Amino acid sequence: MADEKATHAVAVFDEVPEPFSEDVVKRRLGIGFWVAISWMVLITALALLAPVLPIDGQNVIGAGSKLSAPSLHHLFGTDSLGRDVFARTIWGSRVSLSVGFIAIAAGMLIGGPLGIIAGYFRGKIDAVVSFVFLSLLSFPSLVLALMIVNSLDRSLKVVALVLGILAIAPIGRLARANTIVYAEREFVQAARVIGAKDIRIMVREILPNVLIPMGALALLGMAVAIVAEGALAFLGLSVKQGATWGKMILEGSDIRTLRKGTYVAMAPILVMFLTVLALNYAGDRVRSYFDVRETAF
Amino acid sequence: MRFVLQRVGQLVMVLFAVTVITFASVNVLGDPLTNILGPLARVDCTDVYAGIKPDTSTRGGTSEGDCAIIAETRKEFNLDSPLPVRYARWVGDISTGDFGTSFQNQLPVSTVLKNKLPVTLRLVGIGLFFSLALSIPWALLSAYRAERTFDNFSTVASFGLLAIPNFAMGVILLYLFAVRWSFFPTRYEPAGIYNQLKSLFLPGLTLALPLAATYQRLLRTDLITTLQEDFVHMARAKGMPAHTIMTRHALRPSMFSVITVFGINTGALLGGTLVIERIFSIPGLGTEIVTAIVRDDTPVVLGIVVIIVTGFVVVNLFVDLMYSFLDPRVRRG
Amino acid sequence: MAEPLLSVKDLCVRFPTERGVVQAVNGVSFDLEQGATLGIVGESGSGKSVTAKTLMNLLPRSAEVDGSVVFDGRDVRALAKSHENHFWGVQMTMVFQDPMTSLNPVKRCGEQIAETLRYHLGHKKKQAIAEAVELLGQVGVPEPAKRVRQYPHELSGGLRQRVVIAMALACQPRLLIADEPTTAVDVTVQKLLLDLLDDLRRDRGMSMILITHDLGVARGRCDEVAVMYAGRIVERAGTETLFTDSRHPYTDALLRSIPRIDQPSHTRLDPIPGRPPDMTGLLPRCAYAPRCRYAQADCLTAIPELGGIVGLHSFACFHPANTERGEAALTANLDAGETAAGLRIHPIVEGAH
Repeated sequence: MADEKATHAVAVFDEVPEPFSEDVVKRRLGIGFWVAISWMVLITALALLAPVLPIDGQNVIGAGSKLSAPSLHHLFGTDSLGRDVFARTIWGSRVSLSVGFIAIAAGMLIGGPLGIIAGYFRGKIDAVVSFVFLSLLSFPSLVLALMIVNSLDRSLKVVALVLGILAIAPIGRLARANTIVYAEREFVQAARVIGAKDIRIMVREILPNVLIPMGALALLGMAVAIVAEGALAFLGLSVKQGATWGKMILEGSDIRTLRKGTYVAMAPILVMFLTVLALNYAGDRVRSYFDVRETAF
Repeated sequence: MRFVLQRVGQLVMVLFAVTVITFASVNVLGDPLTNILGPLARVDCTDVYAGIKPDTSTRGGTSEGDCAIIAETRKEFNLDSPLPVRYARWVGDISTGDFGTSFQNQLPVSTVLKNKLPVTLRLVGIGLFFSLALSIPWALLSAYRAERTFDNFSTVASFGLLAIPNFAMGVILLYLFAVRWSFFPTRYEPAGIYNQLKSLFLPGLTLALPLAATYQRLLRTDLITTLQEDFVHMARAKGMPAHTIMTRHALRPSMFSVITVFGINTGALLGGTLVIERIFSIPGLGTEIVTAIVRDDTPVVLGIVVIIVTGFVVVNLFVDLMYSFLDPRVRRG
Repeated sequence: MAEPLLSVKDLCVRFPTERGVVQAVNGVSFDLEQGATLGIVGESGSGKSVTAKTLMNLLPRSAEVDGSVVFDGRDVRALAKSHENHFWGVQMTMVFQDPMTSLNPVKRCGEQIAETLRYHLGHKKKQAIAEAVELLGQVGVPEPAKRVRQYPHELSGGLRQRVVIAMALACQPRLLIADEPTTAVDVTVQKLLLDLLDDLRRDRGMSMILITHDLGVARGRCDEVAVMYAGRIVERAGTETLFTDSRHPYTDALLRSIPRIDQPSHTRLDPIPGRPPDMTGLLPRCAYAPRCRYAQADCLTAIPELGGIVGLHSFACFHPANTERGEAALTANLDAGETAAGLRIHPIVEGAH
């Protein structure tokens, strides 16, 4: 008998506060993050400055031989038409980066508000929006992009907007999930209690909190969009005019070119790899820095 | 059981939505009549019948003759009915196995699918097999010695793998193993099962590597969590050897994230076949749908989209069933 | 005297963390005879579970361990390094606190018992399952043949802990470490399980280490009890001696905080003031001093060693309770109204209503 009774008394005194709970481990973005950002700044600067840089035009067929090996004159060699691969890689970054940027901007401008509205009001609006997101996600995205680009025209604008449509669902779902979490928090509840308008709460209270995880996803999403543009180009359905990384990889990937001028494909692959790596890493760091996860379905 | 029915209902809705989007976009964005008949479709029959326009035939016949062909084609492909009716009719046909006729070569779409689907299925199967065969042992080793040399190296490697687009990966593998060291053929060789598997090795690997990296990351994280569980301590206290604990105790309860992402990734996986079939010249659904899209061969595009989305839906149903296999607690719920 | 079954000497365990090194166990020594039962009592964070995990080779890799653990003449820490296969689970095994989490949720109960038999004893599957049924019967699980095919979530907490016990006993271990085996189950089931463990132990001549935060659990089931505080054993004695004639002020305070049936129903319980020390920054003083009613100046400058009659009654205190020296210290502190460590104290009114 005494045993059972004793348990309770000791249990009370056994409940000691965790000594470590109040400590917060110091978080940092780390040097890798800044290296990644530096790469993005460098490649963006090169893309912007391409017209004034001392490089060949993107379609200038040089006097040198075709498929020549890398040299001081042609840093990455020349392709099967004798064009400078280094110059074309820089010209190609203009397309890839602007497609990535526009697509993510479009995805955030459409998906973000939709997700916040769905997550804030729930109910029927949420059901409809969520279903649209789910359908968009179920669709083989590359097929959808190919179909739209093929039916419209192969301009930078169209390609970027199509990839933007594909970015709506993932961004929207993240925004929705985070809104659901924040809508339950005290500061939002408090705003409701004092009678703030819904639109004001969404813009002033929820948006700032949802923007951080969306920013992290945007970095990752930009990488996805750049890759997707590459895939479209690789399948012959991307921007018609000028060089793009995907198109260059395609040109470099036929067996003869691969054998004689490996760098024609490998140079844009390397640059694309570094860019995607930098975006992925930066996005990952931002996400873990703020430690926000996509919680709700 | 009710849960399963609910999921089936939801997935049928998805199938419906996706086919509607596809059907609408191919019919609204493009003109099917032009796709079938070419320049002939531009003959303005109202004007011809009214005698305003002279003969614009390219086939040497009379204007009336051209218009008859147009009318016949419109009837044959149901082009005069409103879009919802045509959609309903199309769905009705599909349910009887009739996917229509290719505009391009007049072959039944079902024949095209029958010829191309097995190759793609084999490619996807090999890709999935590789992805699991690589990621599971890899994650087990990483989690067993977490944050040691091998694991740290793995983190870098998987990050790198994830940053290589599949077409770039394909080109790299093609260059290394087919062009430089001719271990594998550079083109698909259809003769015999041995040649087929040999030709599908590199494409399968291309498909598998980024997936393996994703699964490795997820599985590693979940395994590390599972390894802190009491039942793992209990298994160690029972003296079970490390490999038994990793494979027989920790693995199964750690598979949930991988299975979930596996379902979500199916779409991307099937999208990947488009590019990979192109690089390795594989005559599968991916190559076929790209050609069909470029040539505006609507029935073929629609048919393949149906197959792809059905595949997505089936895989996700399978994933739901896997949850209850992985955790008996779900079975009663 | 024969060689003890288990001999722990100067065991120290430290965990490097971001906040500093956690000194979880600081020089623990004890012997355990074949067939004997030792209770280890202490608050959470006192190092009792870490001690058990050290014996079982269950510490995370980051842990730094010093000292020696010898089981039946074999160096346990060397066995761990050489990845000895048939030692844990066969010679020595452990039962954990929470039966809800210590069974694998995705494996049938029978399989979980049988795998031990198959691995250590090389039983065939059928034979192993049959033996699992037998074992479940021995630990008092009703309808054992049905239970082996069930999953853990289909059983109640009490049944699950019986399954865990059956699992632990499968290979006839010589030492069982039970880490708070009844804390997570219903009060009504606790006594049944403790009695079951006691019976099984006697039948098999097995030694047992019973870890608990509850002195009452140890009473009547342990030959000896060791009280741990801040990673050290502060008092060790035969169970009855400890209950009737405790020397360390901490043990004394623990006993006072337990309600007792032989006391009037309105007897005041005395909670221990303050909280356990921060294990990352232990100072060279008695770790209990800041909470101790007896604390004097010397308690704050040196760590008392475990003294007294080793093997009979030993304690680590400069001013032990129930001795002249201790009473003098307490009286002095009561007169001053506070201890040398600055703790304000008041007289305890015995048997107050």
